[in-house]
Amino acid sequence: MQTIKMVFSNPRYLLLACALFSSMLVGLLILSEFIFLEPYVVSHLPPGTELGFSLIVLLCLLSALVIPMNIYRINILKSSKQKMGGGIFGSFVGAIAGACSCGPVGFAVISTFGSVGATATAFLTNYETPIRVVAIGILVVSYFTTVRSLKIECRLGD
Amino acid sequence: MVAKWILIGLVVIAVIAGAALAAFPQDPNLDPTRQHGDISTAFGSPILGNPDAPLTIVEFGDYQCHQCYNWFHNTKPAITRDYIDTGKANLVFVDLAILGKDSLTAAQATHCANDQEKYWEYHDFLYNSQNPTIDGGWASRENLVGFASELGLDVDLFKSCLESNKYSDRVRSNTNEGKSNGVAGTPGFFIVNSDGQSDLISGAQPYIVFKHILDDMI
Repeated sequence: MQTIKMVFSNPRYLLLACALFSSMLVGLLILSEFIFLEPYVVSHLPPGTELGFSLIVLLCLLSALVIPMNIYRINILKSSKQKMGGGIFGSFVGAIAGACSCGPVGFAVISTFGSVGATATAFLTNYETPIRVVAIGILVVSYFTTVRSLKIECRLGD
Repeated sequence: MVAKWILIGLVVIAVIAGAALAAFPQDPNLDPTRQHGDISTAFGSPILGNPDAPLTIVEFGDYQCHQCYNWFHNTKPAITRDYIDTGKANLVFVDLAILGKDSLTAAQATHCANDQEKYWEYHDFLYNSQNPTIDGGWASRENLVGFASELGLDVDLFKSCLESNKYSDRVRSNTNEGKSNGVAGTPGFFIVNSDGQSDLISGAQPYIVFKHILDDMI
């Protein structure tokens, strides 16, 4: 908790977290058809999609927590950029999981890459929930690794 | 000389007509000129609801698409109750079978069911039986035949129709119709009025969006 306070007491990182969370959330909710922009801006949560919605919110929260903490570690403590990979990778994997399916992204992938695109889209759609759970797992591991790293490096830096 | 050219012309017409019949020989009730706005719905489903309704909802969908499933279960019942059953609108389903190999087979199966005048019953059965796994086997040929049996169709007739792949060109033609009209995902809807003006709704949008547009266009 102290590590979180240390990072987010700096308004720049708090702002970055808010920007990351809101842009990821809105983007993923549009891609997963929880929000529509045309012909009217409207949102809805169809019955049976609650789990998918919750995983998206959790993924965005964790990404908004882990990525600024890693940037803080690199900027303030001049640490290696390599350790940031987990957070970025987790966010990316979680984001693409639901982006395909039958929406415009999936349609574009299938139209462009034919049967290979259809196979890839089908895989991402069929395993959307497990992929998101794995992505969340990667972000959780990345969070604890970052917290531990910040504690050690800050102590050494004292 | 003129007679020779007339004869050649007749032969060419006969060849073209033969090819067209070979591609779409199946449905005696098929109206090749059926059009809603700029969309040819000739090879789509039979019209659900009042054929003379002032509005038509043209749905482009895939039987393996989970968002189509969501729309079928969450939005369509209210539209059916308030617009189709009341004669204000009718609905035509046009295949946009893109998600997997079973999408094409499932779409063909609906047209085979239409041969026995059970298109909509079969269509509904598919969306009630959908499993979220694409090409995971729920719409395999064996299962599609099983669905026909459960609906009381002549299974032998249905099976021979499905095995002949006689509707594959029809489904491909429908898919191309969707693409050429700018549908970029399933489900995609055009609300078309009697003047041929249309509005596009992309995705499994809630009832309120459809209500707004339908009420505006009536």
